[in-house]
Amino acid sequence: MKACEKKAAKKKLNGKNSLRNEIDAWVLMLPMIIILYLFVWRSTVMGIVWSFFNMKAYSVRDFCGLDNYIKVLTHTHFLPTLFNTFKYVFWSLVIGYLPPLFIAIMINEIIHFKNQFRVIIYIPAVIPGIAAMLMWYYIYYPDKTGLLNMLLGKIGIEPYQWLNNPKFTIIGLIIFSTWKGFASAMLLYYAALQSASVEVYEAALIDGAGPYRRLRHVTFPAIEGVLLLTFIRQIIGVFQVLQEPLAMTGGGPNGASTSISFQLYQYGFNSGGKATGQAMALGVIIFLILIVFTIFYFWFNRKIEERY
Amino acid sequence: MKKFSEKQTGILSHSDLRTFKGKCIYWIFFALLSVAAVVSLLPAIWTVLTAFKDTKEIYEGFNFFPKDMSLNKIGTRLYESWKYLDLGDSIINTIVLSIGNLVFRIVVCGFGGYVLSKLKPRGTKLIFTLVVWTMMMPGQVRMVPNYISWLHFPFAADMGMGVSLLDTYWPMWLGAGADTFAVLLFKNSFDALSNSYVESAKLDGCSNYGVFFRIMLPLAMPIIIYESINVLSAAWSDFFTPLLVLDKNAVVPLKIYRLQLDPRVQMNTYFMALVFSSIPPFIIFAVFQKRILGGINVGGVKG
Repeated sequence: MKACEKKAAKKKLNGKNSLRNEIDAWVLMLPMIIILYLFVWRSTVMGIVWSFFNMKAYSVRDFCGLDNYIKVLTHTHFLPTLFNTFKYVFWSLVIGYLPPLFIAIMINEIIHFKNQFRVIIYIPAVIPGIAAMLMWYYIYYPDKTGLLNMLLGKIGIEPYQWLNNPKFTIIGLIIFSTWKGFASAMLLYYAALQSASVEVYEAALIDGAGPYRRLRHVTFPAIEGVLLLTFIRQIIGVFQVLQEPLAMTGGGPNGASTSISFQLYQYGFNSGGKATGQAMALGVIIFLILIVFTIFYFWFNRKIEERY
Repeated sequence: MKKFSEKQTGILSHSDLRTFKGKCIYWIFFALLSVAAVVSLLPAIWTVLTAFKDTKEIYEGFNFFPKDMSLNKIGTRLYESWKYLDLGDSIINTIVLSIGNLVFRIVVCGFGGYVLSKLKPRGTKLIFTLVVWTMMMPGQVRMVPNYISWLHFPFAADMGMGVSLLDTYWPMWLGAGADTFAVLLFKNSFDALSNSYVESAKLDGCSNYGVFFRIMLPLAMPIIIYESINVLSAAWSDFFTPLLVLDKNAVVPLKIYRLQLDPRVQMNTYFMALVFSSIPPFIIFAVFQKRILGGINVGGVKG
């Protein structure tokens, strides 16, 4: 009876206030609608539309069909940069994907200095991005003033070229971004590891499961969802790598570290306004390449949310 | 020193730790973590030490530690570098920028997330779908069009009457608001708060705004603090948008980026600039350490 009354009261309240509700809601939401319209929705549509237009610096001229796309795709730099971008993704998965997981598992197991380890390992994530990039620029410095060559010098090895070596430069940038980013991935795994409760481990222990089988059958199921999500997210994120080559190598040596996004930056802001249209065409191309991964990510994310 | 018997059962249990094999695994973990800790710290330590060396030492000695570590020397290096680098203005600029970013992030994304989660007016579904779909789009599609909109705000292209936002902080402020990921994060955390708060407050005669500002916003403090930490520290590391937009009134990250291109700056002074620019984020980290290291599950699986 009481619940019924309450429901009726609520209904009355809602009916009387529904217009007021709508107005209040839209007032609160207005800043978001305006800003998303101006800088996300409109820009996305314009980016796609203008990729079919001739641009003179930053003003729009006439429709030119697929001209921008043809220029981008037939440019001699296109395939090498695309290949470089895949190299970034490949090396980031090889070098950067598993260490955060191992470290999270180890910190979870350790009892001595557990908190100290967590704080120290988080420090690279605290250093501001640009300062860290330039710091590593000097760590990789090709003469003995750089940290790595200084250490090599101590054991009598000649200075190495590091980022100036076209074969190493992408790997070097990926080592940097792994160092910079692995603490936040580690925290994500660490939080997921907490969902495997002590009781489950103890039950497994009583059933006679050794360390390896507990890792395989208790730890792993608790984190496999997050593990796959970070895998896809890393592919999507690294595919758009731009700031590291911009600050640390300038895309060099000889274009060896130029990624697709860096090329877009060059078209858009470093071409004297000659290639603005091509920048937008390249943006659409990046979008088309990534959409497959993104849709899979969202589909999978929903599956995981349903499960937990 | 903690005892092995206090160890909760995980991959290793305390009975494992009594065996030789278990002990081996444990100390291998410990050694690997120590290596990780050294790798995490070494670049930072080297940067600080190099900042206190003389230029001559950097180019000749190639030693890890500076020769002279007296307080006097440290004081002179700090004083001289600070005077040469002249970072005071850019630090104030960065503080202004970061507070503006924070206001925009909370007002735009926080309010919007609340409406999408609780008030749900007509059209919510459409807007939510748009937010999710644009989150899928890589930002590169928008890079040049956004730059063009900054030139002719609020128009998308040259209509002859827009205002240029170049050399102001507006592009960054507006950009801090135009973050669809943050909108979803706010929406998710408002979703986690029970509807009954809203209903009972309304039965007591509270207006929609009263409910939001006096009840829901205080309850959402964890996510607000989480976003504040992110936004405030990001202002000290983002150099990309400032690079496109700012000429005068440079913020610290941009100043650092430009200093590198300036051949007159001595290497030790430059390293001191890196040290100075890292201090504010470290202060934020020191203050909110517990929350940063523990509260990441705000983003959790949904991240």
